[in-house]
Amino acid sequence: MTAMTVSTAISLGRVQLAHIRFRTLNTARQRLLWVAILFALVAALAIGRIAWLGSSDRTATATSLEEALLPPRGEITDRNGVPLARAFPAYALWFNPRAMGESGSALVKSPQEVAHALKQIFPDIDEKAMAERLASGKPGYLRRRVLPEDANKVMDIGELALEMPRETDRHYPQGRLAAHVLGYVDSDGHGKLGMEQVLDDRLSDPATRGQPVSLSIDLRVQGALEDELRKGMLSTNAEGAAGIVLDADTGEVLALASLPEFDPNRVEPGDLVLTPQEAKNGYFPKAFNRVTNQVYELGSTFKPITIAAAIDAGVVRDFGKRYDASPVQMGRFTIKDSHAMGATLNVPETLIHSSNTVSARIADELGGEKLRGTLIDLGMNQRPYIELTGRGFPIWPGKDWPRLRTMTVGFGHGIAVTPLHLASAYAALVNGGIWRPATLYKLDPDQVPRGRRVFKASTSSRMRQLLRMIALDGTGRSANAPGFRVGGKTGSAEKPGSHGYRHHTLVSTFAAAFPMDRPRYVVVAMLDEPKGTVASSFQRTAAFNAAPVVGRLVPRIGPVLGVRPDATRDIDLSDLRPLVPHGGSGE
Amino acid sequence: MSATQPYIPRSGERGMVSDRYRPSRKSELRIWWREIDRVLLFLILALMAIGTVAVAAGSPASARRLSTSASRLPELYFYWAHLRWQAVGLVVMFGASMLARDSARRLGILLAGGMIAALFLVPLIGSEVNGARRWLDLGIRFQPSEFLKPAFAIVLAWIFSWRLRDQNLPVAWIASGLMVLVAALLMLQPNFGDTLLFGGVWFVLVLLSGVPVKRLGILAGIGSLGIAATYFLYDNARHRIDSFIGGGTAFDQVDLAQRTLLGGGWFGTGMRLGVRKFSLPEAHTDYIFSVIGEEFGLIACAVVVCLYLAIMVRVLVRLADEEDLFTLLAGAGLATQIGGQAFINILVNLQLFPSKGMTLPLVSYGGSSTIAVCLAVGLLLAVTRRNPFLKRETPGLRALLGEKEEHA
Repeated sequence: MTAMTVSTAISLGRVQLAHIRFRTLNTARQRLLWVAILFALVAALAIGRIAWLGSSDRTATATSLEEALLPPRGEITDRNGVPLARAFPAYALWFNPRAMGESGSALVKSPQEVAHALKQIFPDIDEKAMAERLASGKPGYLRRRVLPEDANKVMDIGELALEMPRETDRHYPQGRLAAHVLGYVDSDGHGKLGMEQVLDDRLSDPATRGQPVSLSIDLRVQGALEDELRKGMLSTNAEGAAGIVLDADTGEVLALASLPEFDPNRVEPGDLVLTPQEAKNGYFPKAFNRVTNQVYELGSTFKPITIAAAIDAGVVRDFGKRYDASPVQMGRFTIKDSHAMGATLNVPETLIHSSNTVSARIADELGGEKLRGTLIDLGMNQRPYIELTGRGFPIWPGKDWPRLRTMTVGFGHGIAVTPLHLASAYAALVNGGIWRPATLYKLDPDQVPRGRRVFKASTSSRMRQLLRMIALDGTGRSANAPGFRVGGKTGSAEKPGSHGYRHHTLVSTFAAAFPMDRPRYVVVAMLDEPKGTVASSFQRTAAFNAAPVVGRLVPRIGPVLGVRPDATRDIDLSDLRPLVPHGGSGE
Repeated sequence: MSATQPYIPRSGERGMVSDRYRPSRKSELRIWWREIDRVLLFLILALMAIGTVAVAAGSPASARRLSTSASRLPELYFYWAHLRWQAVGLVVMFGASMLARDSARRLGILLAGGMIAALFLVPLIGSEVNGARRWLDLGIRFQPSEFLKPAFAIVLAWIFSWRLRDQNLPVAWIASGLMVLVAALLMLQPNFGDTLLFGGVWFVLVLLSGVPVKRLGILAGIGSLGIAATYFLYDNARHRIDSFIGGGTAFDQVDLAQRTLLGGGWFGTGMRLGVRKFSLPEAHTDYIFSVIGEEFGLIACAVVVCLYLAIMVRVLVRLADEEDLFTLLAGAGLATQIGGQAFINILVNLQLFPSKGMTLPLVSYGGSSTIAVCLAVGLLLAVTRRNPFLKRETPGLRALLGEKEEHA
């Protein structure tokens, strides 16, 4: 009986336990899913956070090998590897008002004290404005391009809010030198003006930016050119100056300068845009490149081109032939010479004395079609050939020139080109007659373009004699650096104003090449609106301002470029010299 | 006469043991391979492989940081040490996974007893590191709390499973008492992170054991009160929570971790090319997730998160088909312990949780704690072993979901 009861009780208990087990297991299983869902939610939260962090701007872009090993922007060097533009690791001064936490003052000391301390380090800052800036509590750059020693001094102030992040900056170690060739880099990191703009893709592409780009510029020549141009500009109170040194055989630009220039390390807004007042007065912004972008009526420097075209066409065969030098009357216009040169002139005398009348008559005899053809061959009907982006379009007379136009173009009026056009044309005049596009890239001998023949080699040979005679006996005497066999032609053209030509504002140019027995370099120097000063003997014509610039420049750059002064060598002038009676008199 | 019979432990079971079939070692291995959860094993080995690579990445940073002028640690010092610990850990893991369920339970109970005893010793003879007394040096240095983790889950599961024998036993009170004891011992060290983890395991098991939802709400309230109390009682915890809420200052631990995490963008800098990691303290342990972020990218971080989630889901979903309450509870407890620690570490690295001194299980360099984690994983593998030829008697997960649908 008892056993019976016990066994029933056990079995009853077992049934109950089995029931409990079933129920408990069921609950546990259900709640297992709750736990699984909980973990899934946490994981979703984590992944969501990863996605949010990843798409926030706080994530550093992957530091690639390129960024680790290459400069952020490629270097530019001159033809000898001297750096002209390089990446420079500098510091910036950043104001972070939250460096010491959200609440409370951003600075330990008062803004005035901190501004005063900063003023001791950077004397050019405005202390009061800086104090207001610090007090305003707005984050931002206080200054960029901070030198390492100045960064240390800022650290010594002991303000956490003054942070010094490293920034790679574009640095032009040569300062203002070749500013127009190089251009600058804007705040977005893109090149502006000059080769920085032209080479922007190449300088930023990781595949190419490791290799510096060699320009055709020779820094030593560039420095000498800018120095002499500046002296010439300042001594004559000129508005501006422009100059170029071109390799006559390859078209490489060894130096290119436009004054006044700007500092690519610190480009001011005023360098780029003018106030309306300045624009009205006909000024140019400093960033404006006068060599490639501004067109001038270059006047008498065109006369050798006219004569060369005439020799080439067989119009001038006899250099002893005398031309009538009296004023030319064409309708309302009279073409006159600046001073009396005698009743008749032969071709060498025409160039030596720079006669407008004889040049006009020879151009007339040559004919507008042929003169025009020569100028087109010299590329004067289109923008100059160079890599730079700022290239001026010539004032080109178009087709079907009337006689008067032919005559004025014959002595360089009624057509306006850039100084670079003129330099390329002079290279063709003296190098045997081949015109080649100018370039700012350093060329290997096998990269030199074939160019196109504009003049016969014999014509070019004559032109060397004639240009040398101008420097020996004519208006270019002050450019005749001893031993360098300089030859060249002056040009003093009146600038056009609103009412015809303005007689007292001139553009004086001297276009030259040296050494004339084997011309290697073309030099063009131009002064914009020089005044008569003591330095120029109170004269404004090119013979007194632009030619001396070349005369001083050539002895400086000649030895650098491998042209040694040699008094025993010169081009043979024995056949032409007797045609000029006063030749060699040395007034 | 009472309707229920007092529970007599193991009545009538002894006799069957003696004449049980004893398999050879080879067939034992075959049975092991058949019964083990191979997907789970694969996931765990994958995480350990990731850990090997990640410690190789983090090792130079920590080696450089811990080098002094007197002794320079080689760059890969922690990598080689980690490989050694991982090898030992793998042996422990496979050994534990070979255990039968009952042996696993016995091991867990014994270990728990030993470790709680060791925890009593820690305040007396423990060595102090970084302002907390957690280590015990008995020939080998180890943290008793690390080894208590897997044992604790098993003991709690064992205690809760008593209810099936006798529903009158106050299992919840016993378990909670144990929890309070362990928490008190841990907070003596102090060790807030591990207390939280043990509390989590305990909470999950209380949840699974069928405590009414209302009482769970009260528990959650007490839990948050406890955390608040910790905030006011412990300086260390307060500083960390303050710096978490306040955004911290530049270049503190949290900020450095985030800089490292984001240093490589989506795809990372590439192995051993990270630079931010060098400014990071504990690059090879607590902040290894950030190092993974820098060198292998945020995508890799997401993959790691998914791996942990996959482990959790795999274990929990398979347990839902389980017949045995102890297995179910022990499996869930062990999984919670591993997954919970992983997610706390990950959330700390992602700045969603205040900084805790807690490693990423299976991935971080851990020394003896690697072995503790491997032991936990081995025990998890052991309790989730299942004869694939046996069908369950009770409705499984699918029926459970179907049932839910009917209710809805």
